[in-house]
Amino acid sequence: MRIVIAEDDALLREGLALLLRAEGLDVVATATDGEGLLAAVGEHAPDVAVIDVRMPPTHTDEGIRAAVTARQRQSGLAVLVLSAYVEQAFATELLASGSAGLGYLLKERVGRVAEFLEALHRVAGGGTAIDPEVVAQLLTRARPDAGLERISPREREVLELMAQGLGNTAIAQRLVVSEGAVHKHVRSIFAKLDLAPTDAVDRRVAAVLRHLDEGARRRP
Amino acid sequence: MRAAPLALVHLTTGFATAPVAALLIVVLGLIVLLCVVGVGLLLLRPALGAVRGLADLERTRLSWLGEELVGPGELPRGLRAAVADPALRREVAWLLPHATLGLALPGIALQLAVYAFQYATAPGWWRLVPAGTVSLDLGGFSFFTVDDWAGVWTMSLFGALCAVAVVLLAPIMAWLQVWPGRRLLGPPPGTDLSLRVAELTATRAAALDAHATELRRIERSLHDGSQNRLVAVTVLLGAARRALARDPAVADELLERAQGAAELALSELREVVRSVLPPVLTDRGLAGALSGLAADSAVACRVEVDVAGRLAASVEATAYFVVAEALTNAARHSGAGQVEVSVRRRGDRLRVRVRDDGHGGAGEDSGSGLAGIRRRVEALDGTMTLTSPPGGPTTVDVELLCGS
Repeated sequence: MRIVIAEDDALLREGLALLLRAEGLDVVATATDGEGLLAAVGEHAPDVAVIDVRMPPTHTDEGIRAAVTARQRQSGLAVLVLSAYVEQAFATELLASGSAGLGYLLKERVGRVAEFLEALHRVAGGGTAIDPEVVAQLLTRARPDAGLERISPREREVLELMAQGLGNTAIAQRLVVSEGAVHKHVRSIFAKLDLAPTDAVDRRVAAVLRHLDEGARRRP
Repeated sequence: MRAAPLALVHLTTGFATAPVAALLIVVLGLIVLLCVVGVGLLLLRPALGAVRGLADLERTRLSWLGEELVGPGELPRGLRAAVADPALRREVAWLLPHATLGLALPGIALQLAVYAFQYATAPGWWRLVPAGTVSLDLGGFSFFTVDDWAGVWTMSLFGALCAVAVVLLAPIMAWLQVWPGRRLLGPPPGTDLSLRVAELTATRAAALDAHATELRRIERSLHDGSQNRLVAVTVLLGAARRALARDPAVADELLERAQGAAELALSELREVVRSVLPPVLTDRGLAGALSGLAADSAVACRVEVDVAGRLAASVEATAYFVVAEALTNAARHSGAGQVEVSVRRRGDRLRVRVRDDGHGGAGEDSGSGLAGIRRRVEALDGTMTLTSPPGGPTTVDVELLCGS
């Protein structure tokens, strides 16, 4: 897997590269800002770009904009955005063009190396990885509607994992239940949220997020 | 009883300016007459300037004796603008009552005081003057001639009555005398308040702005500093844990890096905390904190602090910030060899002065930190004056309201 890293903080940039290389991944280039990232992507055509949101010159959302541009230039480029804090607007902007091959994680998740690598591979494989924090915020911010309120605590757990981009097998492992049980929960969630059931993982996430996002947007 | 002497001070000082007011009325009248032939127009502006001058003098007197009167500032240069000045019209209207009341009331009070002294002491001196010449006169009328003790005591009693009258009437007279000034020389109703409101709104906006800037600075330094370091710590720790099984030597190196990053995070955090509200202020007070700054300064620095007790935290923090910024500035840009810092409290004001012997020419737009000083000072309703002629020396004067 060929990776490009864009991160303005030197210590963090080197730490990330060190970690990924130690795991046998191929970090082909590092960049310190959006411009540098676009140049590196153009030159190396990587599989994944790991991008920090806040970078020079304005330290606001350079990373998001660079990610969107990079994906326009190289379609199919997987992007994993790292952010110091959860900003729903960033997630929404990123997901506007579809959730395939997209990840949005809090920076400190990188320290949980196994989960981070799992997310990285999922994104590189065309899947989605949304930080549990982002999902939780979307869920709590979403206006409590009849559908969400009818969901049982167990179903809510499943929904949250689903929204993070996990498949049924992974959810079953996390919750230590059978895959069949997860399947039942998922069907029940779809029924309660009036969503047509589908098997494609990222479409499922997109559907869930779209629903949650609508709930968030309807807020006054 | 203490009102009477103060009232006499009112009356006598007013007595001094009243003739000038009377004179100005005459002069203005003449000039207006001369305007008909044209020459007056040349003289009008200086005469109006004199009116403003006298009014300002009266404002100072009234402020000194009682509630502060805020003047309208300088009269506009042009004649047309000067005539249009609403405060000036009120000042011209004030001339006549001040000239009349200002002369008459002290005259009456003085006459009463003289009567009181003269008649009350009559038993002591009436024998010393030729008989038949002692009489009780009042306002030019002779009431009776005194030629025996009964008459003298009556006269003395009358003197005492006059004294009582002075004591009772003087405050009323004084009030009457300053009344036109209080009515007409204060800011015209409405406009002054709107000006003050505009000023307050501006300073409040500046305070909020400075506050927001400060918050943004803190957020930025926390985000770009400590937070990123801590993320690096978790990343390195995560990598170390993974490396532990594979290669303990690599794991150790990663752990060491993680520790370094954590230490960096701590020192940066300390820096942020120091910049928000220096703990040294809480521990050692303004004087101690400033001498600490002087000791750390790159340029030789002498500090003189004359402040009794503690001030409001915001004032102390701002004074500290001013000195710290000015010292940094002097060390970076001025080429100075010696800096003198003085901090003094005078009444409800704290005066901070930082002077260096550098080459001067400092400006607020050259990214020198002086603009930051001004913003922070003005947010507290204080003032900042920068004097930095080419060739030096550079002086930063800051005045802060102590707010207590």
